[in-house]
Amino acid sequence: MIVGAVSAHLYLSLSALLFGLGAIGVMVRRNPLVMFMSIELMLNAVNLTFVTFARELDDLAGQVVVLFVLVVAAAEVVVGLGIIVSVLRQRPGATADDASLLRG
Amino acid sequence: MTLLAAANGISLPGTDDPINVSQTVGFALLAALMIWAAIRVVTTRNVVHAAVWLVVVLAGAAAQFILLAAEFVGVTQVMVYIGAVIVLILFGVMLTQAKLGNDPNLSRRNWYGGAVVAVVLFGLLAFATIDTFEDAKLPEDRRMALPAAEVGDGEVPRTESNTGAVSDAVFGAYLLPLEVLGVLLTAALVGAIAVARKD
Amino acid sequence: MSVASLLAAADTVPAPDVEWSALSPFLVVVVGACLLLPIAGLLPRRTRVAWSALFTIAVALGAIGASAWVWHDLSRVGPTERTTVAGAYAVDKFSLFLIVVICVGVILATLLTEGYLRREDLPGAEAYLLYLASASGAIIMVTAADLIVLFIGLEVLSIAAYVLAGLHRRRLRSGEAALKYFVLGGFSSAFFLYGVALIYGATGTTNLVGIAEYLATHRLLDEGLLLAGIGLLIVGFAFKVGGVPFHVWTPDVYQGSPSPVVAFMASVVKAAAFAGMLRVVVVALSTHRLDWQPILYAIAVLSMIVGAVLAVVQSDVKRMLAYSSINHAGFMLAAVSTGADEGIAAVLFYLAAYTVLIGGTFGIVTLFGRRGDGHHDIDDYRGLARREPFLALALTIFLLAQAGTPLTAGFLAKFYVIQAVVDAGSWWLGLVAMLAATISAFLYLRIVLTMYAGVTDADVEVAEPTAEPVRRIHVPLGAKVAIAAALVLTIAIGVVPDPLTHASRTARPELVAPGD
Repeated sequence: MIVGAVSAHLYLSLSALLFGLGAIGVMVRRNPLVMFMSIELMLNAVNLTFVTFARELDDLAGQVVVLFVLVVAAAEVVVGLGIIVSVLRQRPGATADDASLLRG
Repeated sequence: MTLLAAANGISLPGTDDPINVSQTVGFALLAALMIWAAIRVVTTRNVVHAAVWLVVVLAGAAAQFILLAAEFVGVTQVMVYIGAVIVLILFGVMLTQAKLGNDPNLSRRNWYGGAVVAVVLFGLLAFATIDTFEDAKLPEDRRMALPAAEVGDGEVPRTESNTGAVSDAVFGAYLLPLEVLGVLLTAALVGAIAVARKD
Repeated sequence: MSVASLLAAADTVPAPDVEWSALSPFLVVVVGACLLLPIAGLLPRRTRVAWSALFTIAVALGAIGASAWVWHDLSRVGPTERTTVAGAYAVDKFSLFLIVVICVGVILATLLTEGYLRREDLPGAEAYLLYLASASGAIIMVTAADLIVLFIGLEVLSIAAYVLAGLHRRRLRSGEAALKYFVLGGFSSAFFLYGVALIYGATGTTNLVGIAEYLATHRLLDEGLLLAGIGLLIVGFAFKVGGVPFHVWTPDVYQGSPSPVVAFMASVVKAAAFAGMLRVVVVALSTHRLDWQPILYAIAVLSMIVGAVLAVVQSDVKRMLAYSSINHAGFMLAAVSTGADEGIAAVLFYLAAYTVLIGGTFGIVTLFGRRGDGHHDIDDYRGLARREPFLALALTIFLLAQAGTPLTAGFLAKFYVIQAVVDAGSWWLGLVAMLAATISAFLYLRIVLTMYAGVTDADVEVAEPTAEPVRRIHVPLGAKVAIAAALVLTIAIGVVPDPLTHASRTARPELVAPGD
């Protein structure tokens, strides 16, 4: 019998909360860099979920997945920041939703 | 203190064990810190501050990983995210010459809709997870996925860490995704050069 | 630890069996992409013959050949379906069929891109390299038998596509399209990944076979986790195919991206996303059909209606075609929502026909955009039939085919979808589909009539002295080949549909445990 260990649902609630905060960030913020940081926040929340499940299920797959997600996130950063920087340099103050040239 | 106790791997099932209390306290402190930092990332009016608060969330996540007995993932998280991703983001902030001070133009005026959607989303997800795992406790045994026999007669002496087991999985059952990650990195590299290069 | 003991330890790593021949289509594309890198680097900046484009086409043809060979192997030698690399890569006719569709999409896009790059005076090779990289991600998506492999394939596909959207660096619109595509794409990937995490938590595995077996043998006490996971997965897929209400990126990205890249996105990205949806949702989660069916049903109805209605009220042709692609996605989603074998066959037929149609349509739209790729207002198309009779005729055929005119590929695509939907008992969905097809026919007719009705002679005489002289459109060789091939295929599939129909019916996604 296991006593006193942290319940899995606490970890899962924490990651759901972080995911939700990240989603708010993407939907509410206008600066592409901050939106991008919010996406990283969401990916991290998912990673926490994976590690919690790996612990809960006593299975390594969840941890391996997190390693892969880390690489994917890094690749996204490289390309995404390239795009953000090139657009913002051409037109400072560009945002992802109300770009003047593209009607919504 | 928490990490030390956890690293010793002592657990006394069935007793009123101080180690578990410390783990709970560690979780609670980290969770509170991460939530506060995440709120700041989403609400701060300063792009650089948002990046620094993001570091706090990422470091908190790394600490939670270690509490969850995933040391290798935790260390990788620190190296990749805090070592590389955040540095790149800060470079991005500098290169775009974003206002380093407060920028009132950073948020949308009609943010209520987005917030409502996200809160509903959180509610649903939290309900789904709590509903399923209400009484589940995380197992205490740290030798995850390492059957006792394998630890005994393998050529390589297994240490307490699960790094060896992770590497076996990465080069075994997860060989294909690992190779595809190579393609991903190539694509990202070419893509970044294509975006960045001047005519 | 000494080097010797480390090497000894390396031998104990359990490497899975790899069946190289079954992997050959994927390997051809990846190796081709890696070879293109030095080849393009060694070539001078401008060459008379577009060697990079030719090489890309050769690689895609090689992948088609490899797929045909594996297909033949599957029919003759058997076993008919299997997985390799530790059960992560599914070898079945479903994946081979879609690999061929993807490669056709790559070939058409490459042919169109060659002329586009010359016209816009852009450096070339990276576009072809990104096509191949993106296609390799798409191939991984259609063959993935593991949710994590599927996710990584999705990311390879998407990351290359983000850059392709911003290929025209001097046009701000192109960059903004890339930015929008990237932010919303990353957002949707996070949802998809959370869905994977929740399904992993509920079933204890990310392997599709494992998930299906677990769900078939276990009765979950609390299904909340699994249902939330399924919902998030569907959200992720719906973002990629542009289903309403997850379509907000589609019009802006299609309008801002270079036109040949739009042909690529509309064909290859859609094919890969639908393949993932079919294999994961329809096959692996077939035990929970009653849970996911209503979600797909709703997205399909919304996509068909919203896509058709909003397409009619646009004034920019690329935006019209973007909304029409949402409408097409709705049709395919309707077929997916049946969850039946006929529905899967209908989606496959639709994807193959749509790839050809969209390649031809955007081929001509690329040419009509002229230098700068900016002349896409509906008024710019006025009277084009008089100046460019052949191109206008070809565009008319492609648009009529998209509307579903008999004797073209588009008719049977829509027909099979409605047949599958009605066979599955969803009369309402069939009615909505026919209604949406009728509304969207207005859109295509509007473009056609604008081209043919054109300007009166008086308008020409008034306008011409002031406006810059309108020169005839130069049609590069690649575009000629692409448009001619698309035309031939459009008519051929419409007149002799049997081979494609037969292939799409035999290509059912299968789940086979490794070692069976």
